[in-house]
Amino acid sequence: MTLIRQLFILVFLLIGISHEMLAQEGFPYPGVDDTRSDFVFITNATIHVSADKVLNNASMIIRNGKIEAVGAGLNKPDAASTYDAKEMHIYPSFIDLYSNYGLKEVKRSSSGGSWYSNEPEVGNKGALGWNTAIKPEVQAFRDFEINKKAAGALRAHGIGTVLSHYDDGIARGTGALISLSEGSEQQALINEHSGSFFSFNKGSSSMSYPRSLMGCIALLRQTYLDAQWYAAEGNKNETNISLQAWNDNMSLPQFFVVTNKLSALRANNIAKEFNQQYIIVGGGDEYKRLDALKATGSSFVIPVNYPDAMDVEDPYDASIVDYSDMLHWELAPSNPARLHQAGLNFAVTAKDLGKGSNLIKQLEKAVRYGLPSDQALRSVTEVPAKMIGAYDQVGSLETGKWANFLMVDGMLFEGGTLLSNWVQGQEFAVKPVEEKPTMGTYTLDMGSESYDFTIAKSRAGLEYKIVVDDSTSLKVKTNTSLNRITMSYQQDGQTIRMSGFWTEDKMFGKGQQADGSWFDWTANLDEASEAKAKPKRPAKSMASKAEQDIVYPFVAFGNNTLPQAKTYLIKNATVWTNESAGILEGTDVLVEEGKIKKIGKDLKSKSATVIDGTGKHLTAGIIDEHTHIAATRGINEGTQASSAEVSVGHVVDSEDIDIYRQLAGGVTTAQILHGSSNPIGGQSALIKLKWGYTPDEMLYPGADPFIKFALGENVKQSRNRQGTRYPRTRMGVEQVYENYFTKAQEYGKLKASGQPYRVDLELEALLEIINSERFITCHSYQQGEINMLMKLAERYGFRVNTFTHILEGYKVADKMAEHGVGGSSFSDWWAYKYEVVDAIPYNGKLMHDQGVVVAFNSDDAEMARRLNQEAGKAVMYGGMPEEEALKFVTLNPAKLLHIDDKVGSVKEGKHADLVLWSAHPLSVYAMADITMIEGAVFFDRAADKEAQDRLASERARLIQLMLNEKSNGGKMRKPMGRQKHHYHCDHDEDEGRD
Amino acid sequence: MKNLIIILSIMLGVQWSFGQSDILSPAPAQDMPVVIVGATAHLGNGATIENAAIGFRNGKITFVEKADDTVWTDDHRVIRAEGKHVYPGFISVNTTLGLREIDAVTATRDEREIGMLNPNVRAIIAYNTDSDVIPTLRSNGVLLAQVCPVGGRLSGKSSVVQLDAWNWEDAAYNADEGQHLNWPSAFSYNWRRGTFGKNKRYSEQVTDLDAFFKDAKAYNMLAADAHEVSNLKLEAMRAVFDGDANLYIHVNSAREIQESILFAEKYGITPVIVGGVEAYKIADFLVEHQVPVILNRVTSLPYGTDTDIDMPFKKASVLEDAGVLYCFSVGDFWRERNLAFQAGMSVGFGLDYDAAVAGLTLKTAQILGIDEQVGSIEVGKDATLFISEGDALDYLGNQVTRIFIQGRDVSTENKHKALYRKFNDKYNKD
Repeated sequence: MTLIRQLFILVFLLIGISHEMLAQEGFPYPGVDDTRSDFVFITNATIHVSADKVLNNASMIIRNGKIEAVGAGLNKPDAASTYDAKEMHIYPSFIDLYSNYGLKEVKRSSSGGSWYSNEPEVGNKGALGWNTAIKPEVQAFRDFEINKKAAGALRAHGIGTVLSHYDDGIARGTGALISLSEGSEQQALINEHSGSFFSFNKGSSSMSYPRSLMGCIALLRQTYLDAQWYAAEGNKNETNISLQAWNDNMSLPQFFVVTNKLSALRANNIAKEFNQQYIIVGGGDEYKRLDALKATGSSFVIPVNYPDAMDVEDPYDASIVDYSDMLHWELAPSNPARLHQAGLNFAVTAKDLGKGSNLIKQLEKAVRYGLPSDQALRSVTEVPAKMIGAYDQVGSLETGKWANFLMVDGMLFEGGTLLSNWVQGQEFAVKPVEEKPTMGTYTLDMGSESYDFTIAKSRAGLEYKIVVDDSTSLKVKTNTSLNRITMSYQQDGQTIRMSGFWTEDKMFGKGQQADGSWFDWTANLDEASEAKAKPKRPAKSMASKAEQDIVYPFVAFGNNTLPQAKTYLIKNATVWTNESAGILEGTDVLVEEGKIKKIGKDLKSKSATVIDGTGKHLTAGIIDEHTHIAATRGINEGTQASSAEVSVGHVVDSEDIDIYRQLAGGVTTAQILHGSSNPIGGQSALIKLKWGYTPDEMLYPGADPFIKFALGENVKQSRNRQGTRYPRTRMGVEQVYENYFTKAQEYGKLKASGQPYRVDLELEALLEIINSERFITCHSYQQGEINMLMKLAERYGFRVNTFTHILEGYKVADKMAEHGVGGSSFSDWWAYKYEVVDAIPYNGKLMHDQGVVVAFNSDDAEMARRLNQEAGKAVMYGGMPEEEALKFVTLNPAKLLHIDDKVGSVKEGKHADLVLWSAHPLSVYAMADITMIEGAVFFDRAADKEAQDRLASERARLIQLMLNEKSNGGKMRKPMGRQKHHYHCDHDEDEGRD
Repeated sequence: MKNLIIILSIMLGVQWSFGQSDILSPAPAQDMPVVIVGATAHLGNGATIENAAIGFRNGKITFVEKADDTVWTDDHRVIRAEGKHVYPGFISVNTTLGLREIDAVTATRDEREIGMLNPNVRAIIAYNTDSDVIPTLRSNGVLLAQVCPVGGRLSGKSSVVQLDAWNWEDAAYNADEGQHLNWPSAFSYNWRRGTFGKNKRYSEQVTDLDAFFKDAKAYNMLAADAHEVSNLKLEAMRAVFDGDANLYIHVNSAREIQESILFAEKYGITPVIVGGVEAYKIADFLVEHQVPVILNRVTSLPYGTDTDIDMPFKKASVLEDAGVLYCFSVGDFWRERNLAFQAGMSVGFGLDYDAAVAGLTLKTAQILGIDEQVGSIEVGKDATLFISEGDALDYLGNQVTRIFIQGRDVSTENKHKALYRKFNDKYNKD
């Protein structure tokens, strides 16, 4: 007790007389110099030099903000003041690598500039790069000013040092290492450049480009290339401050800020391409894709902003809440433990902690959820220090390092309370607990009268009472400050006041009666009631949460175990081969190692799992040539007439529930196309619907690359009166192509010449088209424009691969056949815009009859669940032979995508991408019972029923947990549902921000 | 002989009408009795007659029996239909057919008036009988439609039309038969975040609606001509309070469906629920309150990631089993030609076939209050029916070869068939 009191008095003294510890060398001073050196001898402490080294009953000498010595048995230097830290634990202060401490506020822009403008977008003035979201030239340290309020808030988290940067833009420039001392900027600024920062968020940039995630990625990739070019050649002809800074920043640690695990993988793909190693500042959900993230070899900086439970008391409100959100609430605190167990190198940041949250408390929770407490300490000290190469300055309590340390009244992360945070030798109280008079029973003498007097603990603090007799006691209003005490009470309608001083065992002073007369009073402690130090109940360990199985992907209907290829024997089915064998009744198909091994009658296999196909139909998996599911943050870049540089392949969303729903409709392969906002759209992604796997694992390996083009009303922006982007007519559309292909030809010549050249991702893609190395799927409606593009392609020596939509294809089917272009159409859509006024459901039939390879596609998350039925409409309208109709959604799209050597028919040696239908596959009554990709069952209607039951019980379990959390007084938020964006071709919103 | 000439001329007329110009004429009134012999007759009332004989005269059905048991008079024109299927005309409900022609061309759209309270607007007068879309529905078996205004809180009055008419007056089958209320949404969506939470203004919106109904109810205690200051919007609600018009409440989530029904009942109204995505969750409540449901599209996505992925396909059969009166809808205009397949898909997921047909015909008519006149192939009702080569609920069977609306021999032609022929001819000549 006494010791603690002394300690606190010392604390007060230190705060009370705060002064400039160190004057700045060479700076003028007023009158007489008052420079004092902080020279403190801290002793009797348990010093945690680092997570690996603890010194018991040790001392530390700090001088001029640094640690001069640390160890057991140190002698107190004469001139040092002593600080007795008995019963105290001392830890290195934390280092937070994600902060904007001490910087100016960034004005956020909510909208992405003007709608597609015809003006070339150049956002920057001066000798900078063109895009205002790329600002590597920003140097945070130049604007740094001490902000005492913000520093105090950060110190309460235990943080002593931050890496501060402007968290704004895609390339954000450099961050500075800054300590949270309050002496001078000169001292606080430890290092001007300790890291370079990137993100997928254009932030305050008001430019329209990029307005999609794929645009953000393309912009980053192009800037890497531009910077390489600038360093090699470009600088001879110009000075570009941005590119220069980009190159200069390369030597720093590269931090990439993302919001979730899939974007972490996306960032890593950029890193791989440009031979970088990013430190990923993550979203706190890394545990959902731990293996994939581990494989990247990246280090992480993770937040510990676990979500609050939702108020699910009302069952109807609860029904909007997704299982994935509830499960994340349950498991998010186990994220650090899971990362640790997987052996990932990670630091922890206070980023995104809500008001009232505290980093130490959050880490305590992580420890409770299975993170070893030494690792918790490491993650905020040694690990971040090493990430930025500053371990020689901060991150442990070793001689020569900054004296940044925490004074804790117990073990950190195991219940100890942070009392003070010392930064550069300056002490800052975190929890200034004011000492109060001792609780217990006193004898109060006031002149002639004597009473029992009690001080006891109450809900509001301490309660002071004068006990008159057994039944009567008087409440005393009290105020204490330092060692002063003021009291007053009412008796018989009159107020008696007293003022005096308190010590450990007595109080004394003078009082004034109601009539104004003065008296002396004393209160002597008879019996102290020892403050019942509430034995801290050791918090319940939640470490088992770090062991709990999760589902892949982390949403409803995710897999507990990933589907794997097995040996299957499908018996006695009606097999639609899509080959010359036609439709085979009562036939068996053997699937082995992901391939169709054998087709025949009475096949046998000892190892195979037998699937009874009696009464059922087996077809090749459905291939959707045109979809927009499973894409992240925007399907249209669209800001420029050409965005050939962007790729949907970079933004595949493997967690989209539509993947699962479409598996249930027999879809096994889909091409995710860029939208149709501009004549030259973006590059496509061809995926297999491998539900549960990562985006990269879903991509069809080795497929020919495709790109989306578009014609007509969308690219003319016909429905937008404000639009001023070229083109506004079909005439202009042709000229856009003329222009870009001319440029691409010139680019190709330069490239072939052996001269140095600036690699241009956009022109590379266009050149690939001319060289027939990349293939066009072109959104199209009217015959005129269809014909135009074919003629234009012929002039440039290539062939248009596919017209999609192509609703007037029937009018030029002969020309299409001659050109050799395929048509991927809707079965029966029309009347939704002027250019489809002549669309007819016989289109597929008419094109087919002319020898065009015809497919039916969805372009719609719902329709893709029943593309087999859309094929049925080809029978209904115009009487297509049924076998040919089925090919519209299987073999023909495979041909259009150049993958018919592997998929699209039931043929020995091809991928076992198969669907077992309950009935005739073109019938409205058919449903997919089993959908298989490469010999692995990804959908099984019986398993789906089980999954539903499991989901129902999981939801019920999680709702009960949330209700418990509420009744235990946990912090709650309102119930929230999710509705993903269902993209169509013309979907166009600014999604250039997270 | 005379008959033959008439038949030939009708057939040729049909051919030419689209072959040379894109103009079709509505069929004249039935001038002679017709009997369709040998088809499988799906009556719409849950029954099926194999090898049926269906007779109609002056636009009304005169007999429906087994062909073997039937004798008809010589004046009947006989249509042989062995192996074919006959259905009552399918009825599109909650459609904007005739109010929209080309979605992206604003000038061709007439379904949504400005403002939140438009109970007085009438869809029927904007219904364009010359829309190119209408014949494309007919040729898939849709012969009647409930044409509805949309938008706002009260969208206005719908009418049932028959799909072969010169103008809206002769199209009108049951004019101004209902009022459309869009129930406030309990949740509001945040596009940027892709999340939704409680609609904070929900109570206020319901209260506002209640105020309007209170005022309307009070206003209509007096006769229309008894008001010194009349109010068209309040007056427009009279038929609803008097039970002469349906109140169609467009609402989808379970709690709000119940809330809206209780709201209507407070005013003595038994409403019809339109949409009813989550009606399957409260089927018992619907039965207890005898509230019918016009189901939203079967071919739609489930509500929410956690919902059974097949729920949209199964919901009709859940309502059927619970005994709720419901029918199918598409809720669009050109897409209405896929109405039959909404029912077909439900059959794939467990619904009884005859019940599915009823959900396109008789039950729809019951909900609309026109089942005395139409909706099933029963004696005394309108001869509004069609012949299909096969199962009209399946793509593999839906080939409509003859259409009769009120006994009139209606063309199966449409713009799409004409364009098909035009280009088929082009290529085959080349």
